[in-house]
Amino acid sequence: MTTLGPQAQAQVVIPPRTRALEGGSRLEWALMHLAFLVVTVFFLAPFVWLFTAALDAQAAPYIRWPSQPTFENFVRIFDRYAFATALGNSLFVAGSTMLLTVVVVSLAGYSLSRIELRQKAWITYAVLLLQTMPLSATMVPIYGLARELGLRNSYLGLILIHSAIELPFLIWLMKGFFDSVPRHLEEAAWLDGRTKLRALFEIVLPVARPGIAVAAGLSFLSAWAEVLMVLILIDQQSMKTVPLAFYETFRTAGGYTEVQYGLVAAMAVLYLLPVMAVFFATRRLMVRGLVATTRGL
Amino acid sequence: MTAVGAGAVRPRSPSATTAFRRNGAYVAGLTPAALLLTLFFVGPSLWALYTSFTNKALVGLDAARPRFVGLDNYLRLFSDPDFATVILNSVVFVVGSAIIGQFVLGLLLALLLDHAERRRYRLATVAYAAVLLAWVNPTLIAGFLWVAMFDFFYGSLNTGLQLVGLPPVDWLGRFPMLAVIIANIWRGTAFTMLIFLGALKTIPTDIYEAARVDGANAWRRFWDHTLPSLRPIAALALLSITMSTFGTFILIQTLTNGGPGIRTETIALYAFHEAFRSYAIGYGSTIAVVMLALNAAFAVFYLRWSRARA
Repeated sequence: MTTLGPQAQAQVVIPPRTRALEGGSRLEWALMHLAFLVVTVFFLAPFVWLFTAALDAQAAPYIRWPSQPTFENFVRIFDRYAFATALGNSLFVAGSTMLLTVVVVSLAGYSLSRIELRQKAWITYAVLLLQTMPLSATMVPIYGLARELGLRNSYLGLILIHSAIELPFLIWLMKGFFDSVPRHLEEAAWLDGRTKLRALFEIVLPVARPGIAVAAGLSFLSAWAEVLMVLILIDQQSMKTVPLAFYETFRTAGGYTEVQYGLVAAMAVLYLLPVMAVFFATRRLMVRGLVATTRGL
Repeated sequence: MTAVGAGAVRPRSPSATTAFRRNGAYVAGLTPAALLLTLFFVGPSLWALYTSFTNKALVGLDAARPRFVGLDNYLRLFSDPDFATVILNSVVFVVGSAIIGQFVLGLLLALLLDHAERRRYRLATVAYAAVLLAWVNPTLIAGFLWVAMFDFFYGSLNTGLQLVGLPPVDWLGRFPMLAVIIANIWRGTAFTMLIFLGALKTIPTDIYEAARVDGANAWRRFWDHTLPSLRPIAALALLSITMSTFGTFILIQTLTNGGPGIRTETIALYAFHEAFRSYAIGYGSTIAVVMLALNAAFAVFYLRWSRARA
């Protein structure tokens, strides 16, 4: 609780309200459950379809339990669509992005938290402004620029750009975490003769561990799921990542002539599962971090 | 990241040199991030601005040696009747899916969930997880899922309608804007819900206790106390989802690709289509610049307003 920055800390002071209420009428129980049922059906139905279709060799676009559940679709995407390569490429790109982002954002968040400049408020303001720039607006110029700089069909280009996408938000998030780490910790380390960098890595970062976890999780998820940049930067077959492989299969096999929903659904499941795993493993931290950050905006 | 002269440093420690040495390390720490942000945020924006004054193309003669054309691209854009439609589409999409859909549904869900938590209803947890799942789900998959849901002949929606005896609806053909709005509400409601859930937990209970003692009924307590306490965060959530909805690209692209015709073509898709369909990257950049300008105006308003509040 103490690591969430000033806004969250302020909340702790407020006495927790008595959460549990007694009973409630039967009518209320019925109405509330009806509402939650409708919500659950609306939000879950597409996923129910996705998972049943992935296990169905003759999947249709409507929900039905496969007559013979099978992993045939999964076997076929590895056999005929070289999905293993795409998975490997994606893991490499998302993993590298995560490492680079964590290092860059730790340095930047810590520096922004501790720097003493008159323009500090302006830097923070500029970072926030960048955060609101839609990727779909910079997509065309990024394509043009990448073509001229030779950053197309290069994993370096993809990793750099994926790291940059979430950077403004994460710098801001990490600054909040570091703001709440007391300065006397690192000052003691400096007196012991540690350099600033060593003090940061040995003393400050371990305290800000929840922040690092959020940054790592979010940057991995974002790089794993991101498709716009992959779409405009990668067209070499062997370099395809999961979103691109999925997009192409969806466009061809999910098209109008011979629709192979099962196949596309199987790819979607493998594209989605890591996201679910990472998110639900770090859910509480992520939600807390996200909400705390937006509240401060 | 301007020059760190001694004048820029506010000396906190006794000697100014120590302060300078301190900040020197922090400036170095900010450098990698500054480089990345310059390369992929500032750089492309400036490049787009420059290119929007040329007739740069992706292929042909204009690709190798683009010509400077002044304001031609802008004049062409603002006299293009399609552009008015595109702007209107963007407004309808943002108002429908963000302001009406995600915001209202998110608020309702937060109120229901907050109440259910105190009553300890189990189904509430399932509903909460379902909403979150739709949100963390990659947008590309969301597009695919709703293509199947909206399918005219066999989609889950129309199969459901036929089960209860209603005729099938040609969602993507006849009501394409409604379809992309529904899909975007599904995808993005969790954000508003989370923000409001957080805000509801910070309302102190003694207000309610006092109101209860005064004899105010549940509706009055909600109207007089809950809603006003949510107002500041509501405005922030609204502005935040408006900006992210304005930039929506992949969901619309996978569902309708802007069609039929240009009935769901928003400004993000228009820039992409003009740049890549007709290989006119100069013109595409012009649309991107207009989009960035609109977004920046909105963002500045948003930040100023929220800072004034803080």
